[in-house]
Amino acid sequence: MMTMTYALLVVGISYLFIATEWINKMTAALLGSFIFVIAGLIGQEDAFSYIDWNVIFLLIGMMIVVAVLKDTGVFQYAAIKTAKAARGKPIRILIMLFIVTALISAFLDNVTTMLMMIPMILLLSQELKLQPMPFIINICIASNIGGTATLIGDPPNILVGSRAKLSFMDFIFNMTPPVLLIMAISIAMIWFFYHKKLKVSNRDRAKLMEYNENSMIVKPLLLRRSLIVVGLLLVGFVLQGALGLEASTIAMCAAMIMLIINDKKKVEQTLMHGVDWETLLFFIGLFMLVGGLHKSGFLELVAHKIVILGNNDPRNISVILLWFSGITSAVLGSVPMVATLIPTVKEIYQVLGVNDGNALWWSLAMGSCLGGLGSPLGLTSNIVTIGIAKRNGIHISFWQFFRYGLIYMSYSFAIATVYVLIRYF
Amino acid sequence: MQLVSLLDAKLIHYEERHESLEMVYYDLVERICQHHKLPVCGKKLLEIVLNREEEASMVYPSGVAIPHVRMDDFDDTIIAICFLRQPILVRDIKLKWVVMIITDKSSSKLYLNVVAALLRLSKDEVMMSVLEVNNNGHDAYNTFKDFKIAVKEDLTLRDIMISDPVTVKPQTNLREISKLMNEYGYSFFPVVDDMHKYLGEIQILNYLKVGVPDYLLMMDNIQFLRSFEPLEKIFENEEKVIVGDIMEKGNMILSPDDSIIEAVFEMIQHKKPHCSIVEHGVLVGVVTAMDIYRKVIRA
Repeated sequence: MMTMTYALLVVGISYLFIATEWINKMTAALLGSFIFVIAGLIGQEDAFSYIDWNVIFLLIGMMIVVAVLKDTGVFQYAAIKTAKAARGKPIRILIMLFIVTALISAFLDNVTTMLMMIPMILLLSQELKLQPMPFIINICIASNIGGTATLIGDPPNILVGSRAKLSFMDFIFNMTPPVLLIMAISIAMIWFFYHKKLKVSNRDRAKLMEYNENSMIVKPLLLRRSLIVVGLLLVGFVLQGALGLEASTIAMCAAMIMLIINDKKKVEQTLMHGVDWETLLFFIGLFMLVGGLHKSGFLELVAHKIVILGNNDPRNISVILLWFSGITSAVLGSVPMVATLIPTVKEIYQVLGVNDGNALWWSLAMGSCLGGLGSPLGLTSNIVTIGIAKRNGIHISFWQFFRYGLIYMSYSFAIATVYVLIRYF
Repeated sequence: MQLVSLLDAKLIHYEERHESLEMVYYDLVERICQHHKLPVCGKKLLEIVLNREEEASMVYPSGVAIPHVRMDDFDDTIIAICFLRQPILVRDIKLKWVVMIITDKSSSKLYLNVVAALLRLSKDEVMMSVLEVNNNGHDAYNTFKDFKIAVKEDLTLRDIMISDPVTVKPQTNLREISKLMNEYGYSFFPVVDDMHKYLGEIQILNYLKVGVPDYLLMMDNIQFLRSFEPLEKIFENEEKVIVGDIMEKGNMILSPDDSIIEAVFEMIQHKKPHCSIVEHGVLVGVVTAMDIYRKVIRA
């Protein structure tokens, strides 16, 4: 009992710092985890064994692939091409960018997507003399929704996928359908709210049509080659089950090929700037931290409580998990929550004594991905987006963001709940 | 080392009237060649001095000209001084005295320190007024002796900085900055408050950035954009934007007692060809990479 209290104290304080960012997230997680070791709550060897290298290498692999691909200019090309394909009609631009962003985000992490899309959005709204705020918030949410659809789109999915041994295609079959539904409703809503409000003059539209998006492709040869590698990567993911390989192996192979086809002199630069070592170390710290908490027996206790609360019925437990992970993710951030809930769900499965079906996993993944959706605190990408906007003189307050987010979140969770109940029970 | 130890009373004289800088140089060359046997002398030496003068002026704002020649097959330092009773106007500078230095190719440090000592002296109004009322070389020599002007071993930024730079205030608007840039041809101004306390600096790129929003700088390339309205319309905002909004704070600053190599080091590290010199929080000068090049490297 004493051990559990200490463990809770360390994790609680670490999470407080992680959520508030009073000290750097990575520092808080790693410091917390080594305090565990120093306090003798967990041996170092044991703590290290909790690190999920499949997740770490999948992240590294994807970061490298994206870093090289980003260098080719293809994503900004896509953004401009989209705006031009919408023929400068603002509501069409908004909806098409919403779709493109969700699509990009399904394969890229959200922060990277936002770092590329938001500058474009700001440029377009400046040139078309449109209010930037609706564009910024909706596009940001699009990336959050899109990321939910695939294994590699959002960190919570990577975490769940790795621990629950769910493949890329499992995610496509289980997560993509509700996401498509959420997307469809979102688009309908955007049209309803904005189609009369957004107006663009002919002159400004002409300016947009003058953009020469082809000049964005600075390295056509590299682009062709890396698109082939990305294609092979996707094929690898699709065949993941048949190949019997972990996602990280496939991603790392693709990453290494990307480094080879790119300029040899750029390897160091890609590793320095393209790989987010801070995030990786944050994950490592988090794994050890959660490992310590798990070892203390606290998560087992929580699992029992949830099972009792759900009346031993997986159906109820799924819904509890969906909403609980959603709400906590919105407040504390999805990554720490999912990391903590994964061992908890494992325990729940043990308590229930059922091994078939992954309903709980899907509930957890959906809840934590969608939970961060509209909360300005929940997702790093939201914080990054608000930061970029602020630096450009557009102040988005917590409530302004949350007002949009809440609408999106409420019907997303309604859809997710209904989906889980119909599909799995 | 005292400056006077390098001087020779015979090579110091007062001149009632000279028409041009060239005549002063001619005069000084004559005097040097009278007393010393140099590998190159007479007309040829004058030509060398004049050529150098044409390449880069040796006339300093404090009213002294310090022409010099570095000579092959020569191993000494000779200094000749001419005080002008009637200043000559050279590029708006009232030239009151000329110091010609003949030195060898290797002792550039000594030479630089002599120049620094002379420049310091030229800025000291009290000492200069005493020197100006002397009548002959011997008196001047004794005055130099009394002043105990030391030739420092190492040059500091104080010796080469521009000590009265053009500054701006945080409330200065861009229109005024524009005017200053046009007027002085500078691309960089230190920002100070009313008490001349150093606050930061503003340079041409901060000015241009007013027309380039942050989001554009986040893009990998903007080749698709052929024109951009905010950049072209910077001048429309010139009155609205003030220095305080766009100035850079926390730049590297140096102290006047810092060495030249330190300034070069910092400039290279920070990729900035200029630096404000601050003493006790107050701006005392500015040094540019060009100053170092002209006054130290090329000198």
